[in-house]
Amino acid sequence: MIRRGGARALVALGLWLACALPAVAHDAEPLPALDFEPPAPGSYTLHRIMAAPDGEVVGLDGRPQRLARFTRERITLLGFIYTTCVDPHGCPLAYRVFDMVRDAVAAAPTLRDRVRLVTLSFDPARDTPAAMRGYAGSRARGGDVPWLFLTTRSARELMPLVEGFGQDVRYTLDRSGGAPRRELAHVLKVFLVDRAGFVREIYSSTFLHPQTVLNDIETLVLEERGR
Amino acid sequence: MRVRHPFRTAVVVALALGFVVALAGAALADETCNSPYVTKLIKGQEDYVYVWALGVEGLGDGSDKLVTVDVNPKSSRYGKVLNAVSVGSRGEAHHMGFTDDRRFIWAGGLAEPKIYVFDIGTDPGKPKLVRTIADMADKSGYLGPHTYYAMPGRMLVQALSNTKDKGGRTGMAMYNNAGEFVTSYAMPTDGGGDGYGYDLAVNPRKNVLLTSSFTGYDNYMRPLGDVVKDAEAMKRFGGTMVVWDLKALKPSRVLSVPGAPLEIRWSLKPGDDWAITAAALTSKLWLVKQDKGQWQAKEVGTIGDPAKIPLPVDISITRDGKGLWVNTFMDGTTRYFDLSNPEAPKQTYQKVTGKQVNMISQSWDGRRVYITSSLLANWDKGGADNEQFLRGFTWNGKELAQVFEVDFTRQQLGRAHHMKLGSKSLRATLPPR
Repeated sequence: MIRRGGARALVALGLWLACALPAVAHDAEPLPALDFEPPAPGSYTLHRIMAAPDGEVVGLDGRPQRLARFTRERITLLGFIYTTCVDPHGCPLAYRVFDMVRDAVAAAPTLRDRVRLVTLSFDPARDTPAAMRGYAGSRARGGDVPWLFLTTRSARELMPLVEGFGQDVRYTLDRSGGAPRRELAHVLKVFLVDRAGFVREIYSSTFLHPQTVLNDIETLVLEERGR
Repeated sequence: MRVRHPFRTAVVVALALGFVVALAGAALADETCNSPYVTKLIKGQEDYVYVWALGVEGLGDGSDKLVTVDVNPKSSRYGKVLNAVSVGSRGEAHHMGFTDDRRFIWAGGLAEPKIYVFDIGTDPGKPKLVRTIADMADKSGYLGPHTYYAMPGRMLVQALSNTKDKGGRTGMAMYNNAGEFVTSYAMPTDGGGDGYGYDLAVNPRKNVLLTSSFTGYDNYMRPLGDVVKDAEAMKRFGGTMVVWDLKALKPSRVLSVPGAPLEIRWSLKPGDDWAITAAALTSKLWLVKQDKGQWQAKEVGTIGDPAKIPLPVDISITRDGKGLWVNTFMDGTTRYFDLSNPEAPKQTYQKVTGKQVNMISQSWDGRRVYITSSLLANWDKGGADNEQFLRGFTWNGKELAQVFEVDFTRQQLGRAHHMKLGSKSLRATLPPR
């Protein structure tokens, strides 16, 4: 059953990669294909890396809620972003991959009800619920696969989440390019969280590819079924 | 367990003030030989060299320590020791590695299963010991943590030995960045595997993790002269490299590379998919690359006169994959190989840089080269040949010119071993008022 669902997901992903990329608002150029054959779902183990942290967040309606509500009971793909990010290897890449994963999961009946996506801003000063609504666009209207767009009301609320996930956000004085430049820096990380709330994989830009993410989701689903 | 980050307040204030968030994305390379997951390359002038030094009984406090040396020529303290952080014990300090966010250095010793975590993000010029991880033996059974290789949110630690028989069969331990044990992976003993370990390096684009092999505690803690005379001991050295499926962390192919292949360097040139290593006992360079879809190891060069056992101990590849520094311990010589054709490396330069030399590191632009002296406490030379130093050189493509030296014995710091580069620019700063 899951195999059939997974195959459907991969077929959907293939079609997406072939046809749909130009239609995505946040894309730039097609994602390159993987230069390797990833291991088959279920042929490897995703270990518990750490417990996903909890804290207060706000959704697009501005109501405060606990993040744990969105990192339990379903397999969750969570990524930190800021809406003004333009680095093609950063937030826009995550957005594109999330889009592809969502469509592929939606096409797989065995995965559809088990997965959610969470996009969490780490720039509360700029990324208000209204700004996040604009960033989410039509994706905020929901669909077969829930995609939550969350932010926080302050840096004080945000930092325990950032630190808990180990998402590097630094305020630095960068002299490497000559004249000193003050900047906040982050490294793209996306977290795959299991139903129990444990981080099972962390993707950097190198491994953040919809095919590896889907394989990992399927691996977690197979693990659940094997229990 | 998680360390409270001292610059959290700065970040909070910065975020509250709405400063522009300006940079994202993982760097794909570091100053030539770190994990590709380590961020924030120092592409300009480095400010510091961190030296992980072995304690020497009767010298200073006798403990292993992290020594920070000012290496910025514009600094008034150029070539001087800024500080030394003692760990309070002597455990055969050896290698270290950055976490993926480059805020911490993990370092350890080969005589014990302990790992020390130093905060270098709060003040890069003043590292601080913030954590000691002491559960590696209990959790994994491995001894002698050697290579600390950053993975996203984690650290993969390659050990050299095991606590059961202290031989060479060993494995890798995975920790999260908070220092909590995640799992372990045994080096393969089937399919031609000898179970030994030494270095590891990844090529994410090809989904490959490559490991090399050395020897166990029962050999590396003995005097080198004794080991060489012991025929049985000489059989207990690794002769393999292992190709792993990086994503699954499962061995997929064992390559025969006789003579203890040590440091592994992937070419950093985009599009290159080969790695090079040096076999210590045979003094040979080996190339690892795909051939007809299969990863293969091929002997491609000789370092010095193998009959004299020069003992190549460290290598450093240039950022364009066109050149390779090789240090040979016994003759204290630093060699440069032209790697334009990695199938046929060609030595183009050599210089005696010490009576004994071990590690070699270079700046991103290759213009500065740093060399240290110590291999292992019981393998270092004796008497006047037991120089212990960090030496800085400039390299103009033709000549290595020494520009400073820190005498680790005179300054009672111990035996100078592994190096990592640091920069003031990586310091968290308070936002302007």
